[in-house]
Amino acid sequence: MAIVGEKLVKQIRTTGLRATIAQRLDDGFTRFTAGLSWNDVRGILRGDPPPKPNPRVKPHTEGFWFHIRPSFYHEAVTTLYPTFRLGFLSAIFFMFEIITGIFLMIFYTPSPTYAYQNMIDILTNVPFGKFVRDLHRLGAEAMVIVVTLHMVRTFVTGSYKKPRQFTWFTGVVLLVITLFLSFSGYLLPWDQLAFWAVTIGTSMADAVPLIGYELNLLLRGAPDIGASGLLRFYLLHVVLLPLLGVIFVAVHYYKVVRYGISLPPEMEPVGEDNARKVPPEKRVPFLPDILTNELMYMGVAFAFMALSVVTWYKGAPLEHHADPLVTPNHTVAPWYFYWLQGLLKVPHMIPFLPGPIATEVDKFFANVLGLTPKVFWGVIVGPLMIGILFIIPYIDPNPSRRYGDRKVMLTLGALFAAAIIYLSFAGIPTGVPITGFGYVGGDPASEVGQEFIPDEGVGPVRALPYEDYVVGTWTVSAEPNTGNPNFDRLIRAIHASMEHRKANADPLGKKLSPEATAVVEVKQVQENLRYVAIKIDYTDDTGRATQFLKSTYLHALSGYSE
Amino acid sequence: MSIVKKIITFRPSFTVRILAGIISMLVMLSVCTYVAISDQTALNRRDTNFRARAIEAGAKVYADQCARCHGVNGEGVEGLGPTLAAESFVGRRTLREETDGRVTYQQVVPSKRLQEIGWVGTLESYIIAVTEAGIPIRTSNVWDVNHPPFLDRHGGPLRPDQIRDVTAFIVNWSLNPLSDDQAVLPPAPGEGQGPRPTPVPLTEAQERGKQVYLQAGCTACHAIRGVGNQGAVGPSLSRIYTVAQERIASDDYKNNVKGQPPATTPEEYIRQSILYPNAYIAPKCPQGPCPANVMPQNYGETISKEDLEKLVDYLTTLR
Repeated sequence: MAIVGEKLVKQIRTTGLRATIAQRLDDGFTRFTAGLSWNDVRGILRGDPPPKPNPRVKPHTEGFWFHIRPSFYHEAVTTLYPTFRLGFLSAIFFMFEIITGIFLMIFYTPSPTYAYQNMIDILTNVPFGKFVRDLHRLGAEAMVIVVTLHMVRTFVTGSYKKPRQFTWFTGVVLLVITLFLSFSGYLLPWDQLAFWAVTIGTSMADAVPLIGYELNLLLRGAPDIGASGLLRFYLLHVVLLPLLGVIFVAVHYYKVVRYGISLPPEMEPVGEDNARKVPPEKRVPFLPDILTNELMYMGVAFAFMALSVVTWYKGAPLEHHADPLVTPNHTVAPWYFYWLQGLLKVPHMIPFLPGPIATEVDKFFANVLGLTPKVFWGVIVGPLMIGILFIIPYIDPNPSRRYGDRKVMLTLGALFAAAIIYLSFAGIPTGVPITGFGYVGGDPASEVGQEFIPDEGVGPVRALPYEDYVVGTWTVSAEPNTGNPNFDRLIRAIHASMEHRKANADPLGKKLSPEATAVVEVKQVQENLRYVAIKIDYTDDTGRATQFLKSTYLHALSGYSE
Repeated sequence: MSIVKKIITFRPSFTVRILAGIISMLVMLSVCTYVAISDQTALNRRDTNFRARAIEAGAKVYADQCARCHGVNGEGVEGLGPTLAAESFVGRRTLREETDGRVTYQQVVPSKRLQEIGWVGTLESYIIAVTEAGIPIRTSNVWDVNHPPFLDRHGGPLRPDQIRDVTAFIVNWSLNPLSDDQAVLPPAPGEGQGPRPTPVPLTEAQERGKQVYLQAGCTACHAIRGVGNQGAVGPSLSRIYTVAQERIASDDYKNNVKGQPPATTPEEYIRQSILYPNAYIAPKCPQGPCPANVMPQNYGETISKEDLEKLVDYLTTLR
């Protein structure tokens, strides 16, 4: 101690107080940056050429964070093409989700008793709560998109080829982790959307041959999703999957650095990999070029997210409290699993065969192998489609990365993408446009009810403000006369929907019976609460006169219309 | 081609990077400032919305679970459930819109009932407590039915959030409550606690009849004070002998079942009512005219002749 003090005093005596403080601060700064003095950093920020010897490579050998990154890149990979920065953005979104996720964890209890109330509290009682929740949700969807695009890019530029096969493999692992991270987060709000989407997802596990029951039990913690299931999905979401994510990002990125970022295909001789042989004049140093680029992309991405959440993004949904006894109509998986839901709807083992033959083939498979079309397409073909991605680099015999040499592979890739998009359309209840494949619909009358008073979400009836409803029973016609123009417009819309369903059959060939009539009933329940019901009298498939009733309560302050 | 080429070879200059970075930071900062400034109002508005939606959800729970005994509009059903919409129960409140966007209840008249029974908590906590756990003890012996527990943990059909919702709905009646003279009110504590009639000892056959009553499923819908489960679907049987006497004596009494003569004694009336529930449908029920075809019509097959006689014998003791 005395010696340090003595040195300090000596230095102050010889160089003066100000110079000593400056020098000591600079020392600290240099330690923090692992080798760059303040003047070096200033030079970097001013865009000065590096002095000789170059101190800017020192952090790459001395510091932990920079040693992960290469000290220079090939000039050809620093433009937008070929990487589009998608790998970097994937990593950034992963970090973004961890940060926003930790904020949300503070206000969340993984228990069916509290989870939903926690969500309402986040929306109504936590400053920045809705903002961060929307960021987390939008970030999750953006991450799925970015990771998928990253894979598409890698496929298109042929960057999965030797020596990067394993890099691709770990990348597909990361894609799967991303999907499961997103999906496991789905259950946590414990609303109807969460509950039924995850019920569907885990029942697919149930259909896995041989180990299905055990797998399902392992995921749900019980035959049905409940307290144990919620806790398990929570732990998957916040511990296991992020941990696996970090590990695989590390492996993936190690491989990226080890082999370098692949050059644009046209710049390399066929069969060679020159990413690591960078001539000195083509080198772009990490400091400052790559770092400033990355900081800019990160800033733009985050600003885009923040701006989106307060402008066009409608907000992460929160439906009614999870209720195992009430299945909402038209439950769907998250959009990135639509394709899987579409696969589940394939009616026969071998589609496109004539009906009776297809049924016979189904019977044969069911009897001999115990396979139903649902299990085959949803549980075997679905995962196989992901499985194919894993082995692409190991089965592609073509050494060339040039686009012109890879017509077969690129066509196959485009077909694969088209199939995913087609199946995604099939996954949603309205089905694929034109072909109608995947359409799910009940009775036309109930579809009218679902259109105007959906089980979950808002729909036109709830969107019409409380004040616009006129108490009474109103016949649905083209010329309603309720005294309120907005209410009239709603009734006309119901009438139009019914007329449309009378004239046009849905993809299953069902029409609303031509003599069907409807009334809208509005009752005052309490001073600021009304009851709105649509009652449709029609003839059902069996020729019986039936009434369909769908109703909801509407409070003056519920704010659906905002 | 050149535009595409420009885009794919895009590499922002150093200045552009720094500028874009700074602008992004400023955008983020402004968004955060905007959220910070507008957040409290937005939180309050959403709070109001979610409270209103809880009342909507509660209205559905009420219609499904509570209306049977407490009336569709909370008007109460004599002998089953007291009026909930009464001013003496929910009090009277008004809504006040605060300057910060919140909408809150302002109490004008407090609940008389809670003062009567000495409940120290809020109206909400009382409704939640009773709905969740039921009323385990009887405060008077005038009505036959005890409030059953509704919380799932206590064996009821509702989750805690549904009970919170239905509570919000019931409390909302305080904006426009029924006056007390329109209400069916339970007796104040201590009232109606007169001595119960000394029970007449049952004969062996009647004792067996009571077991039949307990085991044949009658308690799912019917109630006999102090005997087994207190069902609330069908009429109370606590005074069924007297009721049967009155029915036979009334002017509009007739037997709807072909080949069955109208009953002349209460015993016959009770027996017919078990074997042919539609033989006579009482004109007035708590919620309007009584519906037919509610009670199963196969007790003649599920209860043996011998047991039926003992059951009728037992029911005639309830006067």
